[in-house]
Amino acid sequence: MDLYTTGDRLEVIAEEDTETEQEPEPADENLCNADECGTAGQYGMWDKAGIDVELPTNEPYVLVAEKNGGPRGSGGEMVLMDLPDKKETSPPVSTFQRFSVETNESLCFEPYIPSDEEEPGQLRQESGNAVYSDEVFEVEPGTGRPGGKSIGDPAGGGAVEDLAGAGEPEAADVFCTECKTTIQRPLGPHKNHCLVQITKASMEIKNDLCAKVHKLEEQIAQMENFAGHLEEIFITVEENFGRQEQNLEQHYNDVIQTLTQRYDERASGLEDEKKVKLETLYTQLVDCGKTLDVSKELIEAAQEVYRNEDKLAFLQAVIPTIDRIEDFTKEEVDLSLAANMEFENSVVDLSDVKQMMESINIVPAPSAPVINPQVPNSAGSTSVRVCWSLFSDDTVEYYELHYRPVLEDTTAEEPPAEESKVKVKETYRTVTDLLPNAQYEFWVTATNTTGISPPSEKAVYMTVPSPPVIKPRECASCPSAALIRWESGNTNPVDSYTVELSETGEETSDTVTVAESIVAVPTCECLVQLQPGRQYCISVRAVNIGGPSERSHPVNVHTTGTFFHLLEDTAHPCLSISEDGFTMFYGDEDIPISDMIFSDNTFAQCVAVLGELIPVRGTHYWEVEVEDRTEFRIGVAYQDTQRNGYLGGNNTSWCMRHVVTPSRHKYEFLHNGWTPDIRITINPRRIGVCLDYDAGKLSFFNASLSQHLYTFECHFLHYVHPCFALDHPGTLTVHNGIEAPDYARYT
Amino acid sequence: MALTQVSSNKCCGGFQKVFEHNSSELKCRMKFGIYLPPKAESSKCPVLYWLSGLTCTEQNFITKAGSQQAASEHGLIIVAPDTSPRGCNIEGEDESWDFGTGAGFYVNATNEPWKTNYRMYAYVTEELPRLINAHFPADPEKMSISGHSMGGHGALICALKNPGKYKAVSAFAPICNPMQCAWGQKAFSGYLGSEKTAWEAYDATVLAGSYSGPQLDILIDQGRDDQFLSAGQLLPDNLIAACTEKKIPVVFRLQQGYDHSYFFIYSFINDHIKHHSKYLNA
Repeated sequence: MDLYTTGDRLEVIAEEDTETEQEPEPADENLCNADECGTAGQYGMWDKAGIDVELPTNEPYVLVAEKNGGPRGSGGEMVLMDLPDKKETSPPVSTFQRFSVETNESLCFEPYIPSDEEEPGQLRQESGNAVYSDEVFEVEPGTGRPGGKSIGDPAGGGAVEDLAGAGEPEAADVFCTECKTTIQRPLGPHKNHCLVQITKASMEIKNDLCAKVHKLEEQIAQMENFAGHLEEIFITVEENFGRQEQNLEQHYNDVIQTLTQRYDERASGLEDEKKVKLETLYTQLVDCGKTLDVSKELIEAAQEVYRNEDKLAFLQAVIPTIDRIEDFTKEEVDLSLAANMEFENSVVDLSDVKQMMESINIVPAPSAPVINPQVPNSAGSTSVRVCWSLFSDDTVEYYELHYRPVLEDTTAEEPPAEESKVKVKETYRTVTDLLPNAQYEFWVTATNTTGISPPSEKAVYMTVPSPPVIKPRECASCPSAALIRWESGNTNPVDSYTVELSETGEETSDTVTVAESIVAVPTCECLVQLQPGRQYCISVRAVNIGGPSERSHPVNVHTTGTFFHLLEDTAHPCLSISEDGFTMFYGDEDIPISDMIFSDNTFAQCVAVLGELIPVRGTHYWEVEVEDRTEFRIGVAYQDTQRNGYLGGNNTSWCMRHVVTPSRHKYEFLHNGWTPDIRITINPRRIGVCLDYDAGKLSFFNASLSQHLYTFECHFLHYVHPCFALDHPGTLTVHNGIEAPDYARYT
Repeated sequence: MALTQVSSNKCCGGFQKVFEHNSSELKCRMKFGIYLPPKAESSKCPVLYWLSGLTCTEQNFITKAGSQQAASEHGLIIVAPDTSPRGCNIEGEDESWDFGTGAGFYVNATNEPWKTNYRMYAYVTEELPRLINAHFPADPEKMSISGHSMGGHGALICALKNPGKYKAVSAFAPICNPMQCAWGQKAFSGYLGSEKTAWEAYDATVLAGSYSGPQLDILIDQGRDDQFLSAGQLLPDNLIAACTEKKIPVVFRLQQGYDHSYFFIYSFINDHIKHHSKYLNA
């Protein structure tokens, strides 16, 4: 295929630079937008004529690289690179290289890998990684390189010509695995090295590269995961440090406040004491002065009396004065200091401050632990494994895990469910004795000598459901499928069910390896496609957020033939059905009508019952065993066939009827009340019924003779069900799971 | 035993041919029609022998019954011989339509002047199968037989008289009890003489009563508006009674509105070919 002869060409020249190069910055990588890619992809490779005409020498031009599968690809991309890089990484010139010089004179190139060599997935990974792309190259020896050549000629630039020159036909054709280089003949020093064809080498290296890329991708995924985790930790560490800082500040503030308070108390105490003492001393001083005054006055009075010449007057006057002096001197003068000169050196109690100071330095109470969300498959139906983590700086003596059931239906008035807690040393705990398929709220606190942490966030964990219970009586199968029905096994709804099946040999072994799973089954039934003639073991799991339940008890399915059960709720009250569900009796004794219980679904006229056939088109075969004189109707009917009519008497049922007349046995093949006139010489005791939806046929056989009796031709619009009726007391047995005989094809 | 091809026409992917040969049993030139399905080009195929009714030649069945499509699908060779020797210059052979030419009744005549040529039973059960097996890609182990009216009688007696030889048998409006009907009595007395015990060897109802051999599965279609049914020529009830008595499986379908013609045959030939195919291709 010639990819290069397209009539369209991409016209990209300097003047129209914006058309393909909207961001003229000299970017190392420049992924053009999707539209441009589309254009580039559509236009494909450079057209020689176009380049010759349009490209002036030394004018910038743009590289268009095809990355996603040739000209038809829509994901082409443009990569611009600096010239020096290009020179180093450029492969020996490829046929499909295209080049471009941008206005800033950087030359860009992108190797082109032929589309048939490309794997889309791989290439998508390459997108946006120019360096990597460069390493993937393909050299096709001996082919022309119209792209490079045509660009090189008009460009005339040295670098470009170098590249063009390297692309001559004697391009390297072998690869030396020892020197990791391509070689042109002659081999020279590589003579004795291990040489590989270039295509092969490139393939191998490509594969190698893919593997590495894959590995890198895995690493990227891991790193992304890890980065996410780190981010979380970053935030929590930041928060915790913030809390620590706050804590510290609080502590020191407390201490300082206490000290300030103490200072204030002491200072005011001293002041008071000073005041009291000074007052005392002053009072004493005043008193001293007063005493002094009194003494002086008395001395003056005495001297005055003493100078009195008049003896009598003297004597008269002296006595009171002497009395006063005597009185005065009687009072002892207190010369001791009224105030204590010593400081009352009261002991300052700083023990509380000391304790506060000390408490700053001991282990802080832990921060709130971080509770992890539920990990898949970590829960059982009555237990969950809860994990949390602490921060590396915290010292924790033990954790307390609290939990309580989440009751979705509770109204606000009701008190929240009772809370349980358990002490744990580890950072995980498997909590048991829970209810299946139930949500529990968990939170955790950490405790050490200093104190207890705030509680963690609350996390909701869910126990997995109880295993479902398969209802074997409501299962059906045919050679190509099985219809499995089950009961949830849980009182509250589960998210979905998973049906698991495995093929078993003749001997059913206990170790069943699951061959196939059908996940996300929303309802309690599932139609499973199977292979004919095999034996399967099918089980069901219920699934919720917590994970899958245990397997249900399995049901075994043989895909040899069609297997169905009777819909007992359709049975006429006179019809009783055996324990195993396959034999029906119409007893002799008359039941009064009043004792009969009819529902909308029971046959009211015809003593009949429907079977539930699997809703799968194709061919179904079953057999019915009757006694010689049993008067029966057997055939098929639509699910909604009239319950108050007789089978075959309407257009919703088709059946074979046996009537015993005094002269003979009469067989009718009834539909819509009409039967063909058919005589059968041997009364069938075992009747084969073959329903072929695709051919639109319902055939009846005398199974013991392989004798074909009659075939209804009718294109059944809906699924039909087997129907059975007894017109007179008797017995009829359904035989199921029988492979349709070969002769059933000849009808 | 040389065969001369009279005609050959491509049909339903195979070929509808007519051949002529000198019959050693019948001492005259005989024609038969043979349909070769596409499958016969690469492998041996089972053979269904079709015996036609009164007045017919090898042409009636191959031109009117429309059997080729189903035969092509099921890979069956269908051989349709003529109904009697022809041109034997026996006095009275062309006098009536229900005796002589075109009315061989598939018996070996014992009465003069018929006993030399009128050996249709030996012809259809021995000579013709030998010839077919020798010249065509036929599986000698797998043959079955069917027919209409007198040919239905022929098919039934061939199957009942040769237990195991024919894997299946069916009939359209067969003469079930020729000893009891006008056609049979006329033919049997002419070919076999007046001794009735000799007739019993060619009466399906009588033969059914003494049948012993592998399980048969007989399919019979009968038009309800068949004038020969009401005329008492066919007497299917006698056969059904005998088969019921003898526990020979028969499905007898009385088809409402149909007469004795090839239109009737055409309507149900597919069911019969399926019936034969079920046993021939088993």
